[in-house]
Amino acid sequence: MPVLEGKELRIIGFLCNWCSYGGADTAGVGRFAQPTDLRIVRLPCTGRINPLFIVRALLNGTDGVLVSGCHPRDCHYTAGNFYARRRMEVLKALLPVLGIDPLRFEYTWVSASEGNRWQTVVREFTAQIHGLGPAPAFAQEASEQAQAVLKAVI
Amino acid sequence: MPQLESLKDAIAKALPELDVVIAWGRGLDALGATPLFITKPEDLDDMILGPSCVHNLATYLPGLRDRKVGIVVKGCDSRSVIELLQEGLADRDNLTVFGFACSGVVNVPRLRGAADRHPVQSMEHDSGQVRLQTDTGPVALPEAEALAAKCLTCTEPEALICDHFAGPHGTAERAAASGNPQGTLERLEAMDFESRFRFWEQEMSRCLRCYACRSACPLCVCQDHCAAQSRNPHWVTQEDTPREKLMFQAIHALHLAGRCTECGECERACPMDIPVLALKQALNREIHRLFDYRAGTDPQATPPLFHFKETEENIKERDW
Amino acid sequence: MATTLFIQRGDIAAWLADTAATHTVYAPLRDKTGVHFHRLCAQDAAAQTQALELDRQAQTPPKNVLLPACETLLEFSYAKQEDGSTSLDVQPVMPQGAVLLFGPRPCDARAFTVFDRVYDAGRGKDPYYTARRAATVVASVVCTRPEQSCFCTAVGGAPDDTEGSDILFTPVQDGFIVRPLTQAGEAVLRHPLFTEAAHREEEAADVCAAARAAVPCAPADFTAAPEPVAALFDDMEFWQSVTAKCLSCGACTYLCPTCYCFNITDESNGLEGRRLRTWDNCMSFQFTLEGSGHNPRPTKAHRYRNRIGHKFSYYPRIHDGALSCVGCGRCISSCPVTMDIRRIVHSAMQRAQCATPEQAHE
Repeated sequence: MPVLEGKELRIIGFLCNWCSYGGADTAGVGRFAQPTDLRIVRLPCTGRINPLFIVRALLNGTDGVLVSGCHPRDCHYTAGNFYARRRMEVLKALLPVLGIDPLRFEYTWVSASEGNRWQTVVREFTAQIHGLGPAPAFAQEASEQAQAVLKAVI
Repeated sequence: MPQLESLKDAIAKALPELDVVIAWGRGLDALGATPLFITKPEDLDDMILGPSCVHNLATYLPGLRDRKVGIVVKGCDSRSVIELLQEGLADRDNLTVFGFACSGVVNVPRLRGAADRHPVQSMEHDSGQVRLQTDTGPVALPEAEALAAKCLTCTEPEALICDHFAGPHGTAERAAASGNPQGTLERLEAMDFESRFRFWEQEMSRCLRCYACRSACPLCVCQDHCAAQSRNPHWVTQEDTPREKLMFQAIHALHLAGRCTECGECERACPMDIPVLALKQALNREIHRLFDYRAGTDPQATPPLFHFKETEENIKERDW
Repeated sequence: MATTLFIQRGDIAAWLADTAATHTVYAPLRDKTGVHFHRLCAQDAAAQTQALELDRQAQTPPKNVLLPACETLLEFSYAKQEDGSTSLDVQPVMPQGAVLLFGPRPCDARAFTVFDRVYDAGRGKDPYYTARRAATVVASVVCTRPEQSCFCTAVGGAPDDTEGSDILFTPVQDGFIVRPLTQAGEAVLRHPLFTEAAHREEEAADVCAAARAAVPCAPADFTAAPEPVAALFDDMEFWQSVTAKCLSCGACTYLCPTCYCFNITDESNGLEGRRLRTWDNCMSFQFTLEGSGHNPRPTKAHRYRNRIGHKFSYYPRIHDGALSCVGCGRCISSCPVTMDIRRIVHSAMQRAQCATPEQAHE
């Protein structure tokens, strides 16, 4: 949003439809104030999340990614979040090798009644991302000097 | 070379029952071997065995699934065979595995450079050294420089799955398992995040997107229908930028998580010498830490990302 | 044509740096993984040219200079008009600026003539390619150190071939004897570091003769390959046996100086986009995959048959016998399993010959 440019960083939240999206809605209904950086993408279940969504988002310049689902054992589809937990943990190991600070990615569990918890998660994660600053950009989109250095190599 | 003779005998005996046996033969010179497809007894004369036998022959197995195939494997190759069996991509009944005690294989591009690209007449590996004889004289390199990086940390020189074993067990000349401080992962770990990012940006700017890394991988059986080339969903664009090429490497590494046996063929096949194995190694280390699992060691095991546990002992989640 | 010139080895860097002021200069540099063509930055030319490598073949050909791995053909954007209609604005993106390509081997330069017959001939001239070709001066260096995998002489080339080049540099002990071949070549040689050297032409000729003798002997003269390769089109047993070890990876295609197939894709983001042309690879399954799902080249044997067929049969039959292979051997040295195109073409020629009863007895 142009009005908040320069003040907001781009944070994407992948939320499961049942628990976490409900929890975010509860926070909204209860008027729990949160920073507006985080934008939500709603999915049926965290088990639907391909870890590559997070990688694509981060490589495309997103400053932070949050995944939130039902608590383990409470998955609306029984086992989706169990698979998600394993995948997200493995993904956490790939990011630092690529040169992306793993603090830019977090996953958590927020149930539909936990409006307070959702507010806490969003506030803390947004602060965490602001602490890290904007994500590193590829040189082609960055300074002319960096571009020139890169152009010296075919 | 007694090991080679013993191997030839074993293959000669098994050959009548098999459609083909895959082994190694001489390539351009003594430094470069090439895969050899043996169908007749005369083909055995072309067989070689030694430090030039770098290829992971397991990569041919999925394509030959319905045939009776014999395959010669180093210890690392045998893990690919086991992983293929774990995933149902090869049939144990159609496979005859020939093993031998492997003393390590060489880093061919490095030795080509050391020989200044002159043809190599002979190559020997013993006493901690690799010695080449070229047109212009001898060249010797210490093991730590001459051998492939994976050999410096090898813990399984002999096939983990085997029908016929050539030569006595435990006779592999092992490189001192001192680890590999010059390994890519080790070098990256010494850098801060920004430097690592620039490292990959620079490496990917050299990438040609030839996908040789994908084709050489024994486990990339869906290479003809790869997600990286799909238009719908559109994971990766055709733009020739480090961003898109790094995205492909991330796809490759994640699709191999819990499956990759670190045979190193991806890195070996790369015509631009990009150290792509590092990403898979990082994931393998994490999977070993989280799930106490190594791909390709137990044909009955299920890869960890194919299932789950209600309580994960090694996953410590953050508090909010 | 202008006279033969001479330049000292140590002066090449200065000449390139000066030329970088008016041209984009590409030269072969030794970097941490080998020898590759790099673009010289005007500011850094002095430092970069310390790594100039003219005595070894570059691992990747300079194909990018005339046929980039990815080029933007045009940019487009949609806009909603006030009357509700949508307008489309299309802007072609044409190559700009003069280029000096210094240091390719004659095989790499000869490869450009393979492209010329396709992209710069007859009705279908490619404006992007022709613009680059016209703006590029190719200054080749005679090859005195062939690789094991070289076979230029078997495909109609030579280490001192001039086809496709604007200038030919012949290395001698103290420098290079320089022969301009075109007016464009002459133009970039107008520099004080070049001195007249007509008296050294014989010396250059000796170097070239020695270079020709040094090329490894290929098993056959492949200029006779078109007929036998065509005769084996239906012999799938042959193609399957020679491709058993092929991984269908495509390294050969991307490192080949004569491969010129491309793919065109539109990449857009909302209302804006670009049309891209990128290198394509006939070793990939998807190269001939049709929308219906049918694939006329479903196996690597079929695809490799096409590769050999194109280079050694279809192309020469259309273009007066000129092969679409220059014998640089990179496909052999970069292949992870060392597929040897020389052996395969030789086998094809032998096999086709034995198919005729008269020759079976020879």
